[in-house]
Amino acid sequence: MNEKNPGINRRHLLKGSLALGLASLLTPRGLWATDSPAVTLPFERGRRPLVAFPQKRPLMVMTTRPPQLETPFHIFNEDIFTPNDAFFVRWHLANIPQEIDVNTFRLTIRGRVNQSLSLSLHDLHTQFEQVEIAAVCQCGGNSRGFFQPRVPGGQWGNGAMGNANWKGIRLRDLLHRAGIESDAVQVRFDGLDQPVAQGTADFRKSLTLDDALQEEVLVAHSMNGEALPLLNGFPLRLVAPGWYATYWVKMLNDIEVLNQADQNFWTTQAYRLPANACHCVKPGEALTDTVPIGKMPVRSFITNMEDGQAIPGGKPCSIKGIAFDQGYGIDRVLLSVDGGQEWQSARLGKDFGDFSFRPWEAQFIPKPGHAYALQSLAINRIGESQRFSARWNPSGYLRNVIEPVNIHAS
Amino acid sequence: MIHVWMFLLLLVGATGFAWGLPSDGDDREPTSILTLPADPISYQPGPGSDLASRYCLMCHSAEYVYTQPPHSREHWMEIVNKMKTTFGCPISNEDMALLVDYLVTQNSLQPSPSAQHVQRDDRKETPGQPLTQSGDPQKGKTLYARHCVTCHGSGGKGDGPIGQALIPPAANLTLLGKQSDQTILDTLRNGRTGTAMPAWKNDLNALELNHLLSFLRTLTP
Repeated sequence: MNEKNPGINRRHLLKGSLALGLASLLTPRGLWATDSPAVTLPFERGRRPLVAFPQKRPLMVMTTRPPQLETPFHIFNEDIFTPNDAFFVRWHLANIPQEIDVNTFRLTIRGRVNQSLSLSLHDLHTQFEQVEIAAVCQCGGNSRGFFQPRVPGGQWGNGAMGNANWKGIRLRDLLHRAGIESDAVQVRFDGLDQPVAQGTADFRKSLTLDDALQEEVLVAHSMNGEALPLLNGFPLRLVAPGWYATYWVKMLNDIEVLNQADQNFWTTQAYRLPANACHCVKPGEALTDTVPIGKMPVRSFITNMEDGQAIPGGKPCSIKGIAFDQGYGIDRVLLSVDGGQEWQSARLGKDFGDFSFRPWEAQFIPKPGHAYALQSLAINRIGESQRFSARWNPSGYLRNVIEPVNIHAS
Repeated sequence: MIHVWMFLLLLVGATGFAWGLPSDGDDREPTSILTLPADPISYQPGPGSDLASRYCLMCHSAEYVYTQPPHSREHWMEIVNKMKTTFGCPISNEDMALLVDYLVTQNSLQPSPSAQHVQRDDRKETPGQPLTQSGDPQKGKTLYARHCVTCHGSGGKGDGPIGQALIPPAANLTLLGKQSDQTILDTLRNGRTGTAMPAWKNDLNALELNHLLSFLRTLTP
């Protein structure tokens, strides 16, 4: 680890008194007390204290170490671009660098290249074209808490996702500067985070060379016009639009071109799906063949109504939401207010690009005293829709079933 | 050597300086610092909670257990086994079953009978009890052998069988000579962020922590 992050051992020795100031604010009884601010997700053990981490507003804490913070869902109704200080956080390994020196930081590009590169942040800003793209970053396990039967793993509600304008350098511009060898097949990405136990594999992810060379794949230094928050990967992270967030390696400092398939743990053993078209199995069924998680199936959410909400009857009621997919773009969103028997087309809002959240809106006139079972169904431009029934797999990935919201009119 | 600047809580630092394009000779403070909160909760006291503190808190906070859906014993066994074999947690074979028993008492659909006796126990932190007391190094030695030796080693040099497997490795306790009693007690009570050192305040009371402190003083040359 020292070659990657010299000095971290020394810092760890100094940290004994660091946490004490915050510790007094975060005593067990204080933080988990029932009267402290929290959001309770609608599943067992779903209480999530709201705590402000560095550069973040209070977010729903799933785990403090390593940090896993969920965006409260009302945020998605307020802005089509998720504010940086509200953007979800998910780290795998607890040894996260607690300081970054922007003058000495280097991004290396090495492996099967003609010439290895070691680039400073200054180099990246001045020697390459700067490009920006709107894209959704969604955890593979987003909505895992809703799986039935429940599965182990991080118990997210629907807020382990966000939409941002990412700015940086095309990965392919970096790879072409280094010169790709003819036998290259994959590109592997590593960040500055490190395991705590030596027996834990360092977190690395890989894309095939073809995928890595797509023009939308960026090495990003900013989101929504500002530097990445540290917890979202400052100073650099991979932005792989359409792909689940596990590929968006944070604190990216090493890009390695491989001439064979990556054999590292996080690719070959973690983040695996059943190797069938549905990527699902019957609950309890053992997995035989698996494939790595990849791109995101189409989803939509109703954002301006909460389950159980009362609305005034007898006048038009506006239902708003968001939809997204892996980058084909949203063709249409349908809304049902009667549990999926009849559907109307929603009006799509401004198009910020094929990888972005797409806002939508529809209206209906609720009758006083009636209950309504709202459902939204998004269809992308190649005709793929959300699922009408939930798929199940043992790791809780790829949820994209219709998410009902039940309301009633007074 | 104390780097006071390292301890600054820079909530807005990253956006403040970073994109002024750092250049050679630029003498602005170049470092962005991330100070993360300490673990907010500990494992609830009960048979085996010391194992959960010793093993599980190395790599993650206790919320990982309490935010899980209730798991069957079989599920917890699978999870603990995965932590050992897949993620390299150095759990000894004899501790495996005890640790699973504990996790079942904490979060299971079918808690074992003993789970009903496991309650939130805050007796360890008695209000008004002085944090610094005179400890007994012999009693501290016994506590050390039970809770500390697997990481810090019998001589305190950080060379216990688990301690060497950690990143960073377990601290060398023979080098604590210049640290104040208060600092050491704070570390024992609250653990150390960014390391595998857990908080012991829910497993050991103030007197026990002072026994440990007085034993640690015997390790310093």
